[in-house]
Amino acid sequence: MDDATIRFTVDGIEIEAVAGQTVIEACDAAGIYIPRLCHHPDLAPAGQCRVCTCTINGRNGAACVTPAMQGMVVENETKPLNDDRRAIIEMLFVEGNHPCVYCVASGDCELQALGYRLGLDAPKQPYLWPGRPLDTTHPDIILDHDRCILCSRCIRASRMEDGKTVFGFEGRGIAMRLNVDAQGGLGETQMAAIDRAASVCPVACIVIKRDSYKVPNGKRRFDVSPIGSDIEAKRMPRT
Amino acid sequence: MSLLDIDERILELADLVDLDRSPFDDKKAFDRPVDVGFIEGGCANEYNVRTLRDFRRHCRILVSVGACAINGGVPAMRNTIGLKECLEAVYLGGPTLEGGGMIPNDEDLPLMLDRVYPSHEVVRIDYFLPGCPPSGEAIWEGLSALLTGREPALPYQLFKYE
Amino acid sequence: MTDIELSRGPRKIVIDPVTRVEGHGKVTIRLNEAGEVEQARFHVVEFRGFERFIQGRMYWEVPVIVQRLCGICPVSHHLGAAKAMDVIAGVDQVTPTAEKMRRLMHYGQVLQSNAVNFFHLASPDLLLGFDAPVEQRNIIGVMNAFPEVGKWAIFIRKFGQQVIAATGGRRIHPRLCVPGGVNQNLSIENRDMLRKDVDQIVQWCRDALELHKSFVHSHEALHENFASFPSSYMSLVGADGGMDLYDGTLRAIDADNTPIFEGVQPADYADYIVEEVRSWSYMKFPHIRSLGREHGWYRVGPLAQLNCCAFIGTPIANAARTEFMAQGRGGLVHSTLSYHWARLICMIHCAEKIRELLFDDDLQGTDLVLTGTRRPEGVAIIEAPRGTLIHHYTVDDNDQVSGANLIVSTTNNNEAMNRSVKQVAVEYLTGHEITEGLLNHIEVAIRAYDPCLSCATHAIGQMPLVVTLEDADGAVIATRVKQ
Repeated sequence: MDDATIRFTVDGIEIEAVAGQTVIEACDAAGIYIPRLCHHPDLAPAGQCRVCTCTINGRNGAACVTPAMQGMVVENETKPLNDDRRAIIEMLFVEGNHPCVYCVASGDCELQALGYRLGLDAPKQPYLWPGRPLDTTHPDIILDHDRCILCSRCIRASRMEDGKTVFGFEGRGIAMRLNVDAQGGLGETQMAAIDRAASVCPVACIVIKRDSYKVPNGKRRFDVSPIGSDIEAKRMPRT
Repeated sequence: MSLLDIDERILELADLVDLDRSPFDDKKAFDRPVDVGFIEGGCANEYNVRTLRDFRRHCRILVSVGACAINGGVPAMRNTIGLKECLEAVYLGGPTLEGGGMIPNDEDLPLMLDRVYPSHEVVRIDYFLPGCPPSGEAIWEGLSALLTGREPALPYQLFKYE
Repeated sequence: MTDIELSRGPRKIVIDPVTRVEGHGKVTIRLNEAGEVEQARFHVVEFRGFERFIQGRMYWEVPVIVQRLCGICPVSHHLGAAKAMDVIAGVDQVTPTAEKMRRLMHYGQVLQSNAVNFFHLASPDLLLGFDAPVEQRNIIGVMNAFPEVGKWAIFIRKFGQQVIAATGGRRIHPRLCVPGGVNQNLSIENRDMLRKDVDQIVQWCRDALELHKSFVHSHEALHENFASFPSSYMSLVGADGGMDLYDGTLRAIDADNTPIFEGVQPADYADYIVEEVRSWSYMKFPHIRSLGREHGWYRVGPLAQLNCCAFIGTPIANAARTEFMAQGRGGLVHSTLSYHWARLICMIHCAEKIRELLFDDDLQGTDLVLTGTRRPEGVAIIEAPRGTLIHHYTVDDNDQVSGANLIVSTTNNNEAMNRSVKQVAVEYLTGHEITEGLLNHIEVAIRAYDPCLSCATHAIGQMPLVVTLEDADGAVIATRVKQ
């Protein structure tokens, strides 16, 4: 092995990482799934959602922004961590409006899929029913603020991949919301349907128009196997 | 209705349980405590609240079944608009309305709630069966778990919010 | 048990709940000075507000949202809305594969829904008797007394549900339609699975009809007169005048079988039908514009579907219709309990159509969706299991719904249901006593129309019917809740 190889353990399993990788990147490569919402492999990490929080050397930290280090001890699949993750998902469900029953993202939605994987049978916190506006000013793209979970993927994709600055946050705390860089809504921005920012949304906040429900039930991304199955499939079956 | 999707197992169900009240029979109130109550639908009017409380009083275990009971479902879409506006749109306008219309207000109609509430915001709920509706298999799993005293555990394929 | 509050003078009966219908209803009977029934009201107490809260949503979401209004006939709403969205998407005729997939789904839906109404909800009354003990008068009781009927009940419904799942991916709230088409064709595997059972299903539907006819023949007077009156009828009919539950033009006929209007295109529905709001029900009261509110009311559903069409395009159902229409002695059939007989004939028709479609290669076609030029408005009509269902939408330039108007099947029957209830009250109410018999008969009358009163999936719970008896001043004499 060369010096650049880092070894550390996740839930007692030893894995290898390359210097410069974060914990989540190393685990993805090794076939260990850490639940996440804001992290996207093609985008710079943001540490926005805290779903990927793991216990690292005894302290909790977001796996998407923690560099992999030699000999670190990571706990991922533990009850307290999954309880916290479930609580985050639950709060996201009640703070926005996420009607899975008719949502165009249902079956492809990462928020829903995490709810499934973490066994959230029903959000028990009181629903807030925000009723945020729907921006349909763009000819090809809908911006449904009711669905936004503030993951910042579109902000990062627009700036770094598309070379535009279509999206940003305004406000703080519970009042924080996604905004676009034009007074008249998305239709007045530089946004195009082929932009990376249009395809990274984990939920149904950014949706391509007239393209919904084309995939039949049973054939959508998370219909048959849980989110993370693709990563876990990479793991060599241990003999 | 989704319960009927257990198909031929309904006969097995009939052997396992006494259906104390359901839409398929003519019984209209509780006359004894029951072990398991299944609640469907959100709470939209005072009548729903009374029913729900009545169920809570008489059922040892109360299960919230389906999206409407769990989060209000599609009828809860009125929560972000307001009851008054919904009533006005339906009863004071529209292409086939004769005259000016009126908002039904007879004393024989139950009072509407300001919002459609999930059932667990009104009474304590013991178990939740998500889905719109939960499939026959999911209901069967939930029911048979409760009947045999184990915790309901839906396999991934049956665990859906839609 | 019985809860009768006697107060001085004024009298009012309430039955709450009506069980074994989908949803929640309530009946009030008012007496005049002489103590005779003056008025009977069937209240619908649930309100949704769909026409308003759908506004602002994207038009392609509507077929998926609107089907959640009803867990009993979601497919009818899904297809009705989808047909309206075809118009809005600028598609006048979907591809043969899309049309046939939708039809297959629709026939599966009508088959299973009619089976549930007949077997699970109505047959306990018909087979065990209106006055059978409450604890036996349910589908389980029927299964015990008539195992054969129990088998039909389970497997005919199951087959209908399998057809829906094969076309739309799941049994309840399937997703098949997108504006201008469908999202999948029928897999060979599903086709073969359904082919295996279809002959048996057709046969069982026929057996159920024979059984029902024997009930009719042994209760002829009851069958003919119970809660009955001549009325007008409305339904869709095909271009050739034959039964078409999926598409066609509107036809309305009066009690003497004289056409009131025919060949009416869905887009023109509002020129012919108007609705009135009454303070005591959340369900509106439609009538035919040209005839006014007193004479313009009509009935829809299986009985109307049979009365309005000239023939049925499948042989077994058509022969059954000929025999059925003979009851009318050359005219229409008006008896309210005939709804059940008619419902079984529609079931046979659907089973035959499903069989026909399962041998049609178009269902394996790959041309699924068409596009066109966007239009601002769309109306579509479909014959749901309970009758004519009208969906009407307007959409703005940003693809958001700006207006919606729905006239659902049960709404069309609102006036008729009220009249049937009144008729039963007149016949079975004696003095100021609310008897068990009165309660049962009121419920049987309502059940014939198979009303679906709310988001009807919510069936495991209380299905309330209260009957209230009032005196001439509107004060309550008695309330009875059936228990």
